[in-house]
Amino acid sequence: MIDIAFQMLSFFVITTHPVSVITNLDVYRPSQDKTASQAKQPPKMIKIMVLPNDVFSINDKIIELQDLDRLLSKLAALDTQQTIMIMCTPESQHGQLVEVLDLCAKSGLVNLSVVSTS
Amino acid sequence: MRHQREEDYLSGNLTAMIDVVFQLIIFFVCTVNMQESAVDDRISLAMAPHGQAVEKKNPLEIYVDVDSQGYISITHTIISQQTLVGILKKAVAEYGQQVPVIIRGDSRTSHSDIKRVMDACAMSGLWKIKFSALKERGS
Repeated sequence: MIDIAFQMLSFFVITTHPVSVITNLDVYRPSQDKTASQAKQPPKMIKIMVLPNDVFSINDKIIELQDLDRLLSKLAALDTQQTIMIMCTPESQHGQLVEVLDLCAKSGLVNLSVVSTS
Repeated sequence: MRHQREEDYLSGNLTAMIDVVFQLIIFFVCTVNMQESAVDDRISLAMAPHGQAVEKKNPLEIYVDVDSQGYISITHTIISQQTLVGILKKAVAEYGQQVPVIIRGDSRTSHSDIKRVMDACAMSGLWKIKFSALKERGS
């Protein structure tokens, strides 16, 4: 029986491979909600633009990904509840959007909206 | 004498238990592989090392795959945007607007193709969506 146990153990060790760990990044799409438009004070909003060829901008200013990471960490230190609007151009790659969402998750920013620009 | 009988009794139970344990191991190994096969190998997910790992799965989750060519598919079946809208509307009608939709987009896919899925969600009344990414890459 011990022989069989070792045979099975070695079989499983050889056949099993490390499983990739999946993560899900939550985002909201701005809805056409009437109550939202009636808000008295416009919420504080940071606009991040995802442009093709790994180009990013924050509030219309081109920025490197490392600098964006640093800036988001600073913003999160002030308020993690502020809305981040991520705007993607049709030509930008999905991987770039995930990169930005990952940086937001790293900083602890949770109110993320994704908007597509034409 | 009594001690000997107790030992026999214990060893007998142990054999049966080991059998059951092996059966369980085989069962779990087989089912884990089945779950993995549901993931489309053609899609190369982007890396998001800082995201929260998925520990609990919601049975209502709808996984929408978008490959590098921009084709939308659910469980390996390529569908059109209209069909996706129909599926999502049916899910919303049945389970409400809290149906979790998870978009598994290839990292090289252009955003315009992901937008088609996002628009389908919006047309169905779903405003909260999730993007799947890899926290840790396996083999």
